Amino acid sequence: MDDIDPDQARTALEAAERAQRQVADEIGLPRAYWWAMAGGWLLLGVLGTVASPWLAGAATLLFGAANAALAPRLLDGRRRTSRLQVGSALASRRIPWLVVGMLATLVALTVLAALALDADGADHAGIWAGLLAAAVIGFGGPEILRVLRRWAHA
Amino acid sequence: MTTARFDELIHPSTRLTLVATLAAADWAEFAYLKDRVGLSDSALSKQLTTLEQAGYVTTERRLTGSRQRLRARLTPTGREAFNGHIAALQAILAAATPPEPPPA
Repeated sequence: MDDIDPDQARTALEAAERAQRQVADEIGLPRAYWWAMAGGWLLLGVLGTVASPWLAGAATLLFGAANAALAPRLLDGRRRTSRLQVGSALASRRIPWLVVGMLATLVALTVLAALALDADGADHAGIWAGLLAAAVIGFGGPEILRVLRRWAHA
Repeated sequence: MTTARFDELIHPSTRLTLVATLAAADWAEFAYLKDRVGLSDSALSKQLTTLEQAGYVTTERRLTGSRQRLRARLTPTGREAFNGHIAALQAILAAATPPEPPPA
């Protein structure tokens, strides 16, 4: 230990911190989750427009139940990749709330978009609104969550 | 409370990166570690074997589909050694930092 000067100690500490930051960068949800969510969103938009209210309601319940079944395993953000599992000490307990908050906001935005499109006279407003939300979730879900994590220091 | 203890086995940069990575994860696959440290398969295997022989790391082979994958995880002994090593490095830095002058 006497052979180690402060510069070497600093370099070693920086290397350790860098390695741990890289693990923290792996926090998130699998890409497949976001695409499944996007597909479900679009399907609900289609069913809400073309199917009976009963079928659309049942599909919404099924979608919610499937998400609730996945939530305990995925929403903690520690299993984004199959190549490692992030330690529980590193993943903030607020991540599930961020995901749920993000999805709730997207539901509200989808409804607002559908109402706006409908008021504008668009045909199949629900489908277009669902398609818009699905594109946002599928292409941007991981990035949006990353930004939210940074804002929330989670 | 972590006791500062410089660990010669962990200190080399590759092993420090490996152990720091595993300390932040529950487990990591061989391929992930290889990407992180940029070593060949044989060189990484050698490093993991050294850490395993010291009781710092355990490895297990898991069958995924038709492929076998190696997972490594830090043992409690390894975690304690890593925390002690980090504390020792911080102590070296702290000892070299001049004390702040008292407020005027």
